[in-house]
Amino acid sequence: MAIRAFLFVLSCLAAATCRGATFSSLQQTLIVTASPQPAQVLKAGEDEITVTWSLNSTFPAGVDSSYKTVTIKLCYAPISQKDRGWRKTVDNLVKDKTCQHKIVANKPYIFPSNNTFTSTVLRDVPTATYFIRAYAQNSEGDEVAYGQTTDSHKAVNLFEIQAITGRHVSLDIASICFSAFSIVSLFGFFFLEKRKSKASESK
Amino acid sequence: MENVPAFSATEESGRKKFALPVDSEHKATEFRLFSVAAPHMRAFHLSWISFFACFVSTFAAPPLLPIIRDDLDLTATEIGNAGIAAVSGAVFARVAMGSACDLFGPRLASAALTLLTAPAVYCSSIASGPSTFLIVRFFTGFSLATFVSTQFWMSSLFSAPVVGTANGVAGGWGNLGGGATQLIMPLGFELILKMGSDKFTAWRIAFFIPGLFQMLCAYGIFFLGQDLPDGNYAQLHKSGDKHKDKFSKVLYHAVTNYRGWILALTYGYCFGVELAIDNIIAQYFYDRFNVSLHTAGIIAASFGLANFFSRPGGGMLSDIVARRYGMRGRLWALWSVQTLGGIFCIILGKVGTLGVSVAVMLIFSVFVQAACGLTFGVVPFVSRRSLGIISGMTGAGGNVGAVITQVIFFRGSRYTTEKGIMLMGVMIIACTSVITLIHFPQWGGMFTKPSKGITEEDYYLSEWTEAEKEKGFHKASLKFSENSRHEGGRRVGITESPDTHK
Repeated sequence: MAIRAFLFVLSCLAAATCRGATFSSLQQTLIVTASPQPAQVLKAGEDEITVTWSLNSTFPAGVDSSYKTVTIKLCYAPISQKDRGWRKTVDNLVKDKTCQHKIVANKPYIFPSNNTFTSTVLRDVPTATYFIRAYAQNSEGDEVAYGQTTDSHKAVNLFEIQAITGRHVSLDIASICFSAFSIVSLFGFFFLEKRKSKASESK
Repeated sequence: MENVPAFSATEESGRKKFALPVDSEHKATEFRLFSVAAPHMRAFHLSWISFFACFVSTFAAPPLLPIIRDDLDLTATEIGNAGIAAVSGAVFARVAMGSACDLFGPRLASAALTLLTAPAVYCSSIASGPSTFLIVRFFTGFSLATFVSTQFWMSSLFSAPVVGTANGVAGGWGNLGGGATQLIMPLGFELILKMGSDKFTAWRIAFFIPGLFQMLCAYGIFFLGQDLPDGNYAQLHKSGDKHKDKFSKVLYHAVTNYRGWILALTYGYCFGVELAIDNIIAQYFYDRFNVSLHTAGIIAASFGLANFFSRPGGGMLSDIVARRYGMRGRLWALWSVQTLGGIFCIILGKVGTLGVSVAVMLIFSVFVQAACGLTFGVVPFVSRRSLGIISGMTGAGGNVGAVITQVIFFRGSRYTTEKGIMLMGVMIIACTSVITLIHFPQWGGMFTKPSKGITEEDYYLSEWTEAEKEKGFHKASLKFSENSRHEGGRRVGITESPDTHK
């Protein structure tokens, strides 16, 4: 028990913020829609995503009084988190690894205007299945509310992104050439060695 | 039968001068670290640097895994399997390397292997998914067999008083590559990224660093190295100074020597443990203590970097203990250091705070790596005729230990990592106890006295038949027997030589 408390303090000290904001404490007051259709495959570095968010009118007026900025992120669907501990969903938002790729960060919250954003999928986004989540942040940058394109089970409205391979023809050729050169020099060594030993034999 | 064999053709042209003092086999009796004099110290530097390069290549992927796993869409299981593949390739390769050294000499054998595995490193750049990733890690791992050529080469060039030190420093500084790569590869990656590459391209280009390094080392060995103090195998075979041995005989004398099997087992529980830790320690600190990936990488690097002094220290300790207590001292030192390593491993699995855990890990690393150095203080004496295969078997045993340990304790979710580490410590202690069974007839064992009337010549020449002795094939073993006399401890001086020669 004491060890747990100590570990918690330790992990707090290690974390950038020690406010312990959890996902379960956030209100889902935003409605988020995005351009990718369910099961659509987008290409990283080429295709664009347009995200639109709005405040859910069923909530009382003034619920957004503390919202100052909005950050929109690409989040991994459960299928892309399976057997990949580095994408684990954890309630503590500081440690949560579900949403690792930002579409836009700290965009000023000026609802109802200024609630759309379009950008190209970045080139370092990996191949996976995603949904989109928007966090509303207060003036200190802490998350206070969210909205996402999928349901609470993260099962519907998911889309895929196809990453760039990172391979280039020039790189392929270079690899093959250097590999071939290694093998050829090895045969060269054997040949030279045979010649040397023949020379010493004839001495 | 003459005591002193006829000198070779090169001797007739003028006595060969060596920069270091040598014994009757022309093996150096001193180890001068800052010299690059041919052939002894030059071979030392060539072999440790190329072994270092092979370690850098084999463990080049782990520090870049956060990028690679996204690019190739790897799961944790696929990463684990690739890690096991990386160390399992060398099991067979090390035994094969041992034979190659016995037959072709360490210079050609290590240059050839280094060049043959360089394509695997280059082709890591074109890996496209989990299977190709596993394949390149598997074949790259074969390069760890250069360990055997390193130890064989040092055992061929350095005499008994310093062979433990030479083997320990060469092995230790090579193993350093496993730690250095955790710093080199991320650095290379960052530089390439700054030059404008995408992340998923930059890691691929970064693999050319270890690839080129390996290739250059192979060239260095071929052009600057020399197998034996008196020349290279091919020349010595042709000139008749070195008898070209038969593989089947060499293999027979290796596998029938039970000491080789015991050392193979125990090496699995110092070096094998070291490899397993290399693969899992960064994740352990990252997951259990929530340090950043960067910090976890530095901790992982420091484990491998301790090799700089700990493995050489083990080798030196072996030589120092041997001066007074001979082979029995070497065996006692090996058993105690490795058992202590096991004890600290158990403690490592038990501690729950970050600072203490890092401290225990560092102490554990020193003991486990020193045990590796101590093992190769004993290996050169197990056999003279089959030195290569015995070295290969022991080295291979190290990798088998790594595979077994990772499969039992660090795969899937049967044990938490900390429980796995603790149980691994228990296994280390249990497996190390078999060292008590080693008995050299001429020197004794941990609890046994030397068998009466058996000399070093009796032991080493028993590997040759009468017919072979008649042809003079056993000359090297004869010289070695004489030079290993002081493994009997202080009571037997080098000047004392029994009259029972065959």
